[in-house]
Amino acid sequence: MCGIIGYNGFREADKVLIDCLKRLEYRGYDSAGIGVIGKKLKIFKEVGEISKLEKEIPTLDGDIGIGHTRWATHGSVTRENAHPHISQNKKIAVIHNGIIENFKELKEELEKKGIKFNSATDTEVITHLISNYYKGDLEDAVYSAIKKLKGSYAIAVVCEDEPEKLVGARNESPLIIGVGDNENFIASDIPALLRYTNRVIYLDDGEICVVSKNSVRVLDENKKEVNKKVNLIKWDFKDAEKSGFPHFMLKEIYDQPDSITQVLRGRASEINRTIEFNEKIENILSNGLDSIHIVACGTSYYSSLAGKYLIEKLTNIPVFVELASEYRYFGTRNEKSLIIGVTQSGETADTLAALKEARNSGCRTLVVTNTIGSTATRISDAYILSQSGPEICVAATKTFTSQILVLFLIALKIAMIKNTIGTDELYNYILQLKELPREIRQVLDQNNEILKVAKHLKNCRSVFFIGRGINYPLSLEGALKLKEISYIHAEGFAAGELKHGPFALLTKFTPVVAIVTNDSTYDKIIANIGEIKARGPQVIAIAEDNDTEIDKHADFILRFPSNLDLLSCIPITVILQLLAYHVANLRGCPIDKPRNLAKSVTVE
Amino acid sequence: MKAVILAAGEGKRLRPFTETMPKVMLPVANKPILEHVIDAVKNSGINEIIMVVGYKKEVIMDYFKDYKKIKITYVEQDKQLGTAHALLQAKKHVKNSFIVLAGDNFIDQNSISNLIKNDSEYSILIKEHPHPSKYGVVFIEKNNLKEIVEKPKEERGKFISTGIYKLPKTIFNKIEEITSQGTYALSSVAQSIINDGKQINTILADCWMDIVYPWDLIQVNESMIHNTTASVSGVIEKGVTIKGGVSIGKDTKIYSGCYIVGPVVVGEGCEIGPNTCIFPSTTIGDNSVIHPFSEIRNSVIMDNAHIGSSSFISNSIIARGSIIDNNFSSVPGSSTIEIDHEFKQLKNLGAMIGEDCTIGSHVVVDPGVIIGRKCNIAPIKRITKNISSGSKVM
Repeated sequence: MCGIIGYNGFREADKVLIDCLKRLEYRGYDSAGIGVIGKKLKIFKEVGEISKLEKEIPTLDGDIGIGHTRWATHGSVTRENAHPHISQNKKIAVIHNGIIENFKELKEELEKKGIKFNSATDTEVITHLISNYYKGDLEDAVYSAIKKLKGSYAIAVVCEDEPEKLVGARNESPLIIGVGDNENFIASDIPALLRYTNRVIYLDDGEICVVSKNSVRVLDENKKEVNKKVNLIKWDFKDAEKSGFPHFMLKEIYDQPDSITQVLRGRASEINRTIEFNEKIENILSNGLDSIHIVACGTSYYSSLAGKYLIEKLTNIPVFVELASEYRYFGTRNEKSLIIGVTQSGETADTLAALKEARNSGCRTLVVTNTIGSTATRISDAYILSQSGPEICVAATKTFTSQILVLFLIALKIAMIKNTIGTDELYNYILQLKELPREIRQVLDQNNEILKVAKHLKNCRSVFFIGRGINYPLSLEGALKLKEISYIHAEGFAAGELKHGPFALLTKFTPVVAIVTNDSTYDKIIANIGEIKARGPQVIAIAEDNDTEIDKHADFILRFPSNLDLLSCIPITVILQLLAYHVANLRGCPIDKPRNLAKSVTVE
Repeated sequence: MKAVILAAGEGKRLRPFTETMPKVMLPVANKPILEHVIDAVKNSGINEIIMVVGYKKEVIMDYFKDYKKIKITYVEQDKQLGTAHALLQAKKHVKNSFIVLAGDNFIDQNSISNLIKNDSEYSILIKEHPHPSKYGVVFIEKNNLKEIVEKPKEERGKFISTGIYKLPKTIFNKIEEITSQGTYALSSVAQSIINDGKQINTILADCWMDIVYPWDLIQVNESMIHNTTASVSGVIEKGVTIKGGVSIGKDTKIYSGCYIVGPVVVGEGCEIGPNTCIFPSTTIGDNSVIHPFSEIRNSVIMDNAHIGSSSFISNSIIARGSIIDNNFSSVPGSSTIEIDHEFKQLKNLGAMIGEDCTIGSHVVVDPGVIIGRKCNIAPIKRITKNISSGSKVM
């Protein structure tokens, strides 16, 4: 997982590249480098964050160049392994995102020809291959080189002998072209470019692009020129900035009243009392569904687990949630089953592979994603955008709640089609959906109370989260948020499972966060809290506004509005997010960029 | 030339509407006041703005980051000590002559252009006002400022300072000198410049408006949407009548039988009707829902508001996220209100309802009553007095 950027235009390339790299940093930040062609090709790379590179870099003159931010997959984090990688004659520079599977064979072949390797990366193979094929035309050389490659790649190449030309190629790793006025870009992702242009061309697998200052050509596998559509991106540049918040994560948590409105916009109609999707999606949802499989990774997996609960509750259709990395090898396929892939970036390699597998075996596929034009939207039968706007913090917040809501809307739609809920019940759910933004504002108002509780957690070595029903996946998500940004060990458990093992870990130094809703399991979870208290831990309860009983049982109580029924999962999630945020902040952790993690995982 | 916009203040007299956003972000014609100001500044040819922010700065910065390709630099005023102190925060970002203006007062583009074009080193925009003693009253001699008196006790003079100046970079030394003596208002700085024997040219502003109290918002909204041009996106069902300047945003649905008379501005993603009447001069924010048989006139309805069927809303403000059940009624009429220790009779006032309130069915609100944020009112109540935020009426 890395971020790549290429620039060809009229500005000072080094400044533009570093600026764009900062916006790609969420994709990787072990090391970074840029290469610019002025009179000659010059390279500068450094281990560490982009800000370090920016401080130490000398001015590199030139108006064409490439830049890279790395998240190591092959070879450790060293300056040698940072990109760009240059050819032996120091004329060709290459940056790469992805994994070359046959790089060992290629490397041996090249070494036999007497080529010396300077790094342990798979990328260097591409550089030497291109250099080897180079006969005065860079696009021909790139074209010949990628024929030899197996695996995933998005690459950008420049050559000192052809300083007017930037060449890119993609296979199974994201790459887009940004179209400007007298300047053009290639990049891994849209936010990198938003400061400069909002016109974007999406490359497809196997395609090569040749980008000059004022033209863009795209060639397919057979070197035939392809006419590509230029898409206008609605995101504003302002969306990608911190807006006075100390961290992107906090900004994104506070974005949720708006991001939720966006999910519902045009889909939940209060006066018509209906849920609307486009025809394609409605068709997919209406034809005799036997079962639903949801495939996802990481946070999306937990939102899918919550979605399973909602869909089953409203439609009686069995839902199986599977980790994409497992499903693609071991999952069952059934033509009467609908496969829903949930991926924020739309580029998660495992989820993409699972979707392809499912589609090849004749299943209907539907994707829930935040990224328009992403690979996932193109390889599936239909897609639903969560419309959350860009999410920069590595830990997902607003996209998690939006994903749950999309799944909830799908559940309502299926329930309407199958007649499993009455019109009045449907109307009540729509009203609750419309009320959500203000319920979230109410939770955000409790920021200070949540901070107080966070102070009790900041020195813990281990924290447990428990819940029943839909609160179980929320416990998992709460624990994931806490561990990924605060580095405190955290586990989520179904409350009833605690007795079957995890109890052994309870001491008075392991606080337990219990999610308590006034449903049929209320008495059970109160009993669970009693059992926990007897072993000494402090209990932090997340409970409803009007729940007075809980005061007698828990040490700390954080409240969420009571009138929400199934949708209480959204305000509860916001409390869990803020709790994790404050704990991490009190511990001084690098919240937006936790160690070893990357925003979207485009390697398997 | 750069512009310094002062946007750090809270707007206490506009509570509860300023509890979650600074005064400059209150919506007029469905855009924050500040956006109108920035547009005027931009259209007069300025493309670099220094924004002094403080109270709830995130709300401003989130909305305006790199707005319409204008460069906005943010500086923070930690404590809201006064206009001169606020301006001082911008010192290191200003190199030449500049203009300074308040982010919460409307100003037209022509007046700003006139100010920029003026040759004098110092100049100020002034405006005639029926109640000058509430502002900085200015006395003029041959187009130059003679004296400026902040809020005089007795009514005198007829022109007031708009607080909009063109100033040279050297002003910052003067401000440092004055603020070190414990005075923080820009008008004192102006007075001290006159005392030094320098001349401040006065220019009459065409259009300048201030919002001090909640009901001002309704009036200013009325004059700002007066020239709304008809533009309709979204879905309009058959049988809807639309007359005059009505602007309807995308993804909005207007159901059959609605009767809308402009000037009316409706935001994006709303649902209105069937059979709902909206009369001049009304603004409805994004994602709001107005149920059947309701009538709304001369009111400001903000985002995500929800108004039940058969309600009557006139000369009122409904803030973001409030949910009002059916048969709500705001009684229009006059009200005697205590303002700055004086009792005043105000005409044509409706209800002023804060953010995220929940109001039951058949509630009646008396003229001019202000209901705070997050209030909860049970059905069939008559509300005759102001209610503070977070209250419950059982």
